[in-house]
Amino acid sequence: MSNPTYTAIFYLFAAITVFSAAFVVFSRNVIYSAFSLLFTFFGIAALYVFLSADFIAVTQVVVYVGGILVLLLFGVMFTNNIMDTDLKTDVLHAIPGTFLFLGILAALLFTFYTTNGWMPSDTQLQGSVVERIGFETMSRYVLPFEMASILLLAALIGAAFLARYDNGGTNEH
Amino acid sequence: MFELPSGAEIQSIISILKSGLGFFIPEIYLSILFMGLIILDLALKGRNKSGILGWATLIGLGGSFYFIAQQHAMQAGEHFFGMYVLDEYAIFFKYFFVASGMFAVVATLADRKFDAEVKSIGEYYALVVAMVIGMVMMAAASDLLMIFLAMELVSLSAYILSGYFKRDARSSEAALKYLVYGAVSSGLMLYGFSLIYGMTAETNILKISMELADHGYDPLVMILATLLIMAGFGYKIGAFPFHFWSPDVYEGAPTPITAYLSVASKAAGFALLLRFFYIAVPHGVSPYEDILGIDWLTLLVIMSVASMIYGNVVAIWQKNVKRLLAYSSIAHAGYLLLGVIVMDEIGTQAVLFYLLSYFLMNYAAFYVVVLISNRTGSETLDDYRGLGSKMPLAGAALTVFLISLVGLPPTVGFIGKLMIFSALLSKGALYIWLALIGVLTSVISLYYYMLIPLNMFLRESLEPNEKSLNPGFLAQLMMAVLMILTIWFGLFFEPLSEFARYSSAMFGLSLY
Amino acid sequence: MDQTLSEFGNVFVFFLLGVVFVAGGYLTARMLRPSRPNPVKTSTYECGEEAVGSAWVKFNIRFYVVALIFIIFDVEVVFLFPWATVFRQLGSFALVEALVFAGILILGLVYAWVKGDLDWVRPTPSVPKMPEMPASKSTSQRD
Repeated sequence: MSNPTYTAIFYLFAAITVFSAAFVVFSRNVIYSAFSLLFTFFGIAALYVFLSADFIAVTQVVVYVGGILVLLLFGVMFTNNIMDTDLKTDVLHAIPGTFLFLGILAALLFTFYTTNGWMPSDTQLQGSVVERIGFETMSRYVLPFEMASILLLAALIGAAFLARYDNGGTNEH
Repeated sequence: MFELPSGAEIQSIISILKSGLGFFIPEIYLSILFMGLIILDLALKGRNKSGILGWATLIGLGGSFYFIAQQHAMQAGEHFFGMYVLDEYAIFFKYFFVASGMFAVVATLADRKFDAEVKSIGEYYALVVAMVIGMVMMAAASDLLMIFLAMELVSLSAYILSGYFKRDARSSEAALKYLVYGAVSSGLMLYGFSLIYGMTAETNILKISMELADHGYDPLVMILATLLIMAGFGYKIGAFPFHFWSPDVYEGAPTPITAYLSVASKAAGFALLLRFFYIAVPHGVSPYEDILGIDWLTLLVIMSVASMIYGNVVAIWQKNVKRLLAYSSIAHAGYLLLGVIVMDEIGTQAVLFYLLSYFLMNYAAFYVVVLISNRTGSETLDDYRGLGSKMPLAGAALTVFLISLVGLPPTVGFIGKLMIFSALLSKGALYIWLALIGVLTSVISLYYYMLIPLNMFLRESLEPNEKSLNPGFLAQLMMAVLMILTIWFGLFFEPLSEFARYSSAMFGLSLY
Repeated sequence: MDQTLSEFGNVFVFFLLGVVFVAGGYLTARMLRPSRPNPVKTSTYECGEEAVGSAWVKFNIRFYVVALIFIIFDVEVVFLFPWATVFRQLGSFALVEALVFAGILILGLVYAWVKGDLDWVRPTPSVPKMPEMPASKSTSQRD
């Protein structure tokens, strides 16, 4: 990260991420929030690139921008009169919340800046990591890989069950 | 560029994976059962579908005992490149979770509310099995990645199950609250995992332990990581600062699921907690050498004391039986944490035994609550008035289970508490005050638990009609058997405690 | 690391160009165009029809289930992509692993299909019962 251009670009994306995320939270219109989330997701994808995690960055774009955000917008659009609905975005428990936030932030920052015991990984990443990920998924991480399919199946049938519209008829018993 | 390993190396990896499969049969069986239930749900048509699916789940889960029992003969060890561990401790929890899944199905079959509320029951049984898979994985996972995946599988299934009464606003509220708190706490836990990974560059908990012992660690990072990880584990076990979800979820969820969450999900949290803190965290000469004298053990002590006091005190004011049992389950998490703090074989044995006793008495209590709500359609304390004369066996059984939950002899709950407290006292004077708090809060719990039999037997019903309410022969038999078992194991606890002691052996444990 | 970054630098240049292209277009248009609005000009153009109500209409809930299924298979593709890059070297074992993975998820698709989540709402023709003569489909459509 010695190159000043990279540093500048990094801070550009960091700023995009943070400010769009803040807009998501503080906006009173849920549609604007949802669209602002788009920039947050893109900003995070760019930050992954800076971590040499190119595959994760592309995944972020494919899954979050292409999938989750669309789902979110659908969810928003199911609601009647969405543009007119005044959302409740009042700040509740402002003082304890602020203290908690500042406390956690201070603890994390203090820890990161005072600790030098981080252990570097054995393997240095060179170039694209897609093939390495492919190989590791097929060998060392087979069990989590197959587990993920069970998890996805459970999520699919559960979500489809909950989202399905029951027209109030009698049951199958 | 990344160079693929040579052909010989790939062959050796494949052979290691293939040999690992042999140690993974119960999980494969359960996964096939999970998928089979989905297919059965799609294939079946007709009137008695719900009953067939329920019995198929019950028999299918029962079948897995055969495969689990065969694992006793296998060598304890790590499989799948350190992802997964097979040891007596994991096998204990495999039995535990399969049995609790079966009991959830039994309670569901008894619950009449499902007939009225639910249009399609196939997903329900499939998700119960999915949750069993997740919990079995939680108890046996030895890698941070597997731990996270297993916890997510359990959580996802639990969210959907607790919101299964779609048209009931309270059930949906329960699911939503559970989901939001769950997302926050698993996010915090991942943050803690990332700190641990940053310190060690390993994800396997045995290797983490070695790295931390070899290279030492910054106590500040360690305490922060522990705190964050405890947020995830504490959420699963429902202990004090992370308990917010439990009263609303327990009240809103279908009652069999409430029982399932309170017993199985909690036990899964403890299985993980014990394994993680006993193995991943290195145990030096003195546990109190960290920053400000605070280490993970101190955190557990604080959580335990707070849970016992908070759960028992707040339960006093509850008017809904399910809510009351929810607060009492927070308190029970506190008692169980006392056993974790002891950090030796007796303590682990006491935790496992307490989980077994909690399984029996809590499931049984919820079973009676289901039966009563079938007849009266209510779970509030006021509607329990005068039920003792209308449903004598249910009243007697519930009283026995509640006495056991308080921890009075001659029930299995008494032996559980006795083992926890004696394990504490065997560590010397250090923990006497903890045992004292445990005993005092148990006295508080006597008051609110006994409110239920008080209403049932000594107070007159608000609308006196002298019709006796018969819950049916099978349910009567079931209650009688559970009641006898609760007392039987209170008198002859030797086999259970032996089983718990035998099962306290974890792979890679250097603590005791 | 530098190599990956510079490859993504190309992406970044595209990204910047895209932003500049759109923003520049708007900016030039703003500078060049005359601005004399009146109510007719600012109204929404809807093929000459008067626009009624908000543009944000309530969607059919079925879109949601379809989107959910889409996400699940989106994630599956993400998992299978790295597999495809090394499949050639790893051979049949990797094929079996991927088949198990995909097979489990295809069960989810079958589930959604059989449960009717993928069917669109069709207007069901109501067939009024005629007591005298057996109702035939062609005659009983309208009443």
